[in-house]
This record gives sequence, C-alpha cells and structure tokens, in this order.
Amino acid sequence: MKLFEVVESRFSTAFGESWNPFYNLGALSFFFFWIVAASGVYLYAFFDTSITSAYTSVESITNNHFYIGGIIRGLHRYASDAMVVTMTIHLFREFLMGRFRGARWFSWLTGVPLLWLVFASGINGYWLVWDQLAQYIAILTAEWFDWLPFFSAPMAQNFLNEASLSDRFFSLLAFLHIGIPLTLLLMMWVHIQRMAKAKSNPPRGLALGTLAALIILSIAKPAVSQAPANLDRAVTDVQLDWFFLNLYPLLDTVSPGDLWGLVGFITLLIAVVPWILPKGKYSIATVNLENCNGCERCFIDCPYDAVTMQPRTDGMSFSHEAVVRTNLCVGCGICVGACPTATPFRRQTQLVAGIELAEFPLKNLRNEVLQASETLSGTDRVMAFACSECGKDKLARQPGVAVVPLPCIAMLPPSFIDFVISKRLADGVFLTGCETANCYHRYGSQWTEERIEGKRDPQLRKRVPRERVARLWTSAVNGGRVQQEIKQFRSRLRDVGPMRDDYASMKQSLSFVSSETGGNIHDTD
Amino acid sequence: MTLIEWKDEFSVGVPSVDHEHRELVKLINDGFRNFQEKDSGFRVDDFLGEIFAKISSHFALEEKVMRNHKYDQIAEHKEDHERLLDDIRDMMDVYENQGYFNEKELADHLAAWFTGHFKKHDARLHGKLGL
Repeated sequence: MKLFEVVESRFSTAFGESWNPFYNLGALSFFFFWIVAASGVYLYAFFDTSITSAYTSVESITNNHFYIGGIIRGLHRYASDAMVVTMTIHLFREFLMGRFRGARWFSWLTGVPLLWLVFASGINGYWLVWDQLAQYIAILTAEWFDWLPFFSAPMAQNFLNEASLSDRFFSLLAFLHIGIPLTLLLMMWVHIQRMAKAKSNPPRGLALGTLAALIILSIAKPAVSQAPANLDRAVTDVQLDWFFLNLYPLLDTVSPGDLWGLVGFITLLIAVVPWILPKGKYSIATVNLENCNGCERCFIDCPYDAVTMQPRTDGMSFSHEAVVRTNLCVGCGICVGACPTATPFRRQTQLVAGIELAEFPLKNLRNEVLQASETLSGTDRVMAFACSECGKDKLARQPGVAVVPLPCIAMLPPSFIDFVISKRLADGVFLTGCETANCYHRYGSQWTEERIEGKRDPQLRKRVPRERVARLWTSAVNGGRVQQEIKQFRSRLRDVGPMRDDYASMKQSLSFVSSETGGNIHDTD
Repeated sequence: MTLIEWKDEFSVGVPSVDHEHRELVKLINDGFRNFQEKDSGFRVDDFLGEIFAKISSHFALEEKVMRNHKYDQIAEHKEDHERLLDDIRDMMDVYENQGYFNEKELADHLAAWFTGHFKKHDARLHGKLGL
C-alpha cells in the first residue's frame, strides 16, 4: 500500500494529478475496451470465419491493407493486453486502499466476472488467428473444458484433425468473440452503476497520449501470427502472450481438474474479500424530516447515489424529502456537509441537520471543535480538519495545531470554517484530504474545494477572510509536505496578526450598525 | 409589535416556498416577541443562529426550484440571497464580539431586504414560473 502511494505520488508529479494513470485505471480500461471494439469491427469486416481461410485472411489484413490493417491488428492486440494490465492494477489498488468496504461491495463483486470475461475474450481471440499458438490454446482449452461434465462429446475431438474441425465450430468461435465482449461491456456498465458520476472516460490528453503510444507500439512491433496451425503436428514451440495466457503452461504440469480448482479458488477468494476482511466502522446517514425541506443538495453531492428524492411523507407542504438508501450508504458524511441546516451557529439543543451520520452527529463535531480549541494558544493557532482515510499519518501531533478527524473532508459544512474563525476558536483553519483525483470518497476533496471557491453549495461565505483558510489535497505519504504547509500557514497567520483587526474593518462595512456605542446594547446573559 | 407583516402578494405560487416564507416570518416574529418580553430562555445568538439556518435552507429550496425550472436569473437571485446571509452573519459577529444587538435594525434590515428582494426577484420568479 505504501509502495503504491509512493509510486503514485511520483506519477502525480510527472503526469500531473488528473492525468495520473493510477487515478484513471477504470476509465483507461473502458478506453482500451473501446479501442479493441473499434479495431475489432475493422478486423471482423475482413475476417474469414472458415477454418481454411482464417489464417490467410488475418495474414492478408496484416500485410495487404496498406499497413493500416497491421496497425489496427496491433491496436486490437496491445489494447487488450493493456486492458489486462489496467484491470489487474485496478483490482490490486482498490483492494489495498480498502475501496470495497461497506456498500462498495457491489462494485467489488461485479468486478469479479469482468476478470473472467476479459480473459475469455482475449483467449477466444487468439483462437481465431488459427496459427500455432491458436492450436496450442485451442487444444489445451478444449482439454481443460472437457474435464467439466457438461459436454456430451469431448470438445478436444474437434481438434484431432482438420477434417473433424468444422467451419461451423469455427464460426461459433468467431461469434463468441463478439458475444463475450458484449457481455463484458454490459457487466462493465453494471460494475459502475452504483458510482454517481463514474469516470468512464480518461482525461482527453491522457487518452490521446495512450492511443499514440499504442499506435507507435503497433508500428514498431507489429502484432503477427506464428506459423499456421497444423493439426497433424503437435505444437512444440510457441510464444505466449503472458498477459492473457499466463496460466496455460500450468496445464502441462497440473491436471485440468486441479487448474479448475485453482482458478475457482482464486475467483472465490477475490469475490468474498468484502465479507472476510474487517469492514471498518462507519455510520449510515439518516434524514431528520423536520429539518429537511427537500432542497436536493445532499442528493446532488452524494458520490454513491445513496440519497434519493422521494415524495413527501409527513404531510408538510414540501414536494419532496431526502431518503437514504442504506444499502448504498458508506457513511462518508458528504451529505451532511452539503446540508444548509448543518450550521454550528445554531442553538446547541436544536443543532440537528436535515441529514446526519447516526453515530457522528453534528453536535458532537461542534463539541469536538470547541474542545480542540481549548488546547490552543498563541496567535498562530490552527484548527485542522482532516480526512481520516489519508490524514491520520499526515498530521503528526504538534502544539498549536488541533486536529479534528472526519470520515471525509467534505463532511465539514463550510459554515464550520466560518464558525471557527469568527468565534476565534483558532487563528486559521487548515483542511487536508486526499488528492483530488484520487479521493477515497471520490469527490470529497473536489466538492470541498468548490464550496470554498464559491462554485458549489453550500458556499463558504465570501466575507470569511481567505488568508485564514488553507487547504492541501495530497496523499498520505506526503506527511512532510503537510507539516511544511502548516508551518508556512502559521507563519502567514502571525504576519496577518490577531483576529480583531478583521472585525474592526468588517464592522465598517455594516451599513445598518450605527456606531460602536450607539443603539441599545442588550446583553441577555 | 409585529416585526414583519405577511402579505398575500408575497406568494410565489410554489406551495413549499410559500410555506417556508410564512414559517420564516413566524420564526422571526416569535423570536422578536420573546426578545421584547425579556423571556429568560431567549438568547440573541441562538435566535440569530436559528434564523440563519432556516433562511439558509429556505434559500437552498428556492434555488432548487429555480434550477429545476431552468430559471434564467438564478445567479442574480442567488447573489441577493448570499447578501442577506452575509448580513445576518455579520450581525451575529457584531453581537458576539461587541455584545451589540439592536432589534430595530434587524427588523428594518430584514423588512427592507425582503421588500426589495421580493420586488426585484421573487415577483419576477413568480411570473417566470407561470404559477
């Protein structure tokens, strides 16, 4: 995990954050699928699905199509290989970063069949070329499948000699090579169903760069067939595509049954990950109807589509109310940060937001902030709000800095920042969360940034002095950078000076406050 | 004394929005009465804090209605919303830091804002929504 983070932060430096391939693995896999699909359409147009002409038709595409055919074939192969790579890293990455917990089990589990479908598509594709490699795969695969008790006649019989391998069987393979990828696409669509605003397209620059790299690779090292298949001779020497065919050599040494056992076990092991590993503690969001008027902000901001708007049930004259689909909620609290009633300025007894995390209510957050403030002194006091997914290690304890952890930084309603600064609970507020393009809760850092910049509701009000608000979106490994930023922030705060200056100037802007001494002074305490 | 008088022409024709308008007027008037009667449970900062929260969520709802109807002056209308919220927050800060609160100023400001906002924005919204 640490290794991933270190490598990724290097890539962020090299590519820029939003182009970082590690943050776009899913989208890149989609992109590769489209390349494979498009090039596949071209190849299919010229492919001959008969056993005798398959090899020659592929050779003809490769050599006679004025080189375009060769490049298209190269794209078809290398993009598939690349898809295996991005898919595999995606799998490991989401695993290591724990992005399968809670309601996210759905995306995890629906990813498992994708592994099978990608491999099936690729292996199936190699058959169609009908070269020595195809022959090798065909026979081993047939033997492997024959171990299963489904087939009335052994499939391997088809490959005993040319005569027994019918054109119809070969056509079937070709159609499978359309059917399996279409199923794959369908499952990829299912895979991202529970992700609101799923990224299925990589940033344009990254996409173009990747495509260019694939084209260059296709020209520099064209994808070619091996010698034509000849069922009269056993295949003795083949070059494997290790991306797809990595398990085939095993079939030389282990029995088909054992291999079924192995891949079955691996599949099962992957599938049950969300249920056998510790789930982590999180609290589901709940709606408090008396504070909900159906404004939709939580609905808009939820990264998991866990909030829906339903017709009003309590007879109030509002048209809708927010309803949490508890099986989709992962407890990030982003909805709380979006709720306009989630403001700490409210009376303590009435501080219940329209939507709250059941076990981490806003009241507690407000108390934590007040208590944290008491530990601070000086003129460079910092109240740091940190994402607990990435912030735990980043923010080492240090005097003068109070840390309030949150399930996601976007759980913080912007008015809390206003609250801390205007009540002088600290001299500055420091926010830290995941890198924007790699946010554990997907959009937490981005929403927070936009709320502060006034591009997203609820906005941090404009009159909050921005020199007292600092934020840093970076990965957990960059602890040093966080410390440095905090240090610089505190030194800036010392330069700005104590808070009351802000308020002296602010008061002058109040047209409706007469003078400092004028008017009735009512102090009800 | 009633701080803000509800008038029927304040209605924008969206039931939820009108309902909240009335609730807000009631909240402000009730709080104001408690203040005048020197109710022992009354605290200026709580009162302002509640007004602030309720107005915030009311504006959020009104902005949703505008968004869903693709109302063409959302930006201007919203800016006026933010202006009032800013002013209320400033009043809260002044009270917090200087113990100063003048009910007449709050009343006048709210009334002035409401009248101006209604004339300029809500009435237009009402017309545009065709309700």
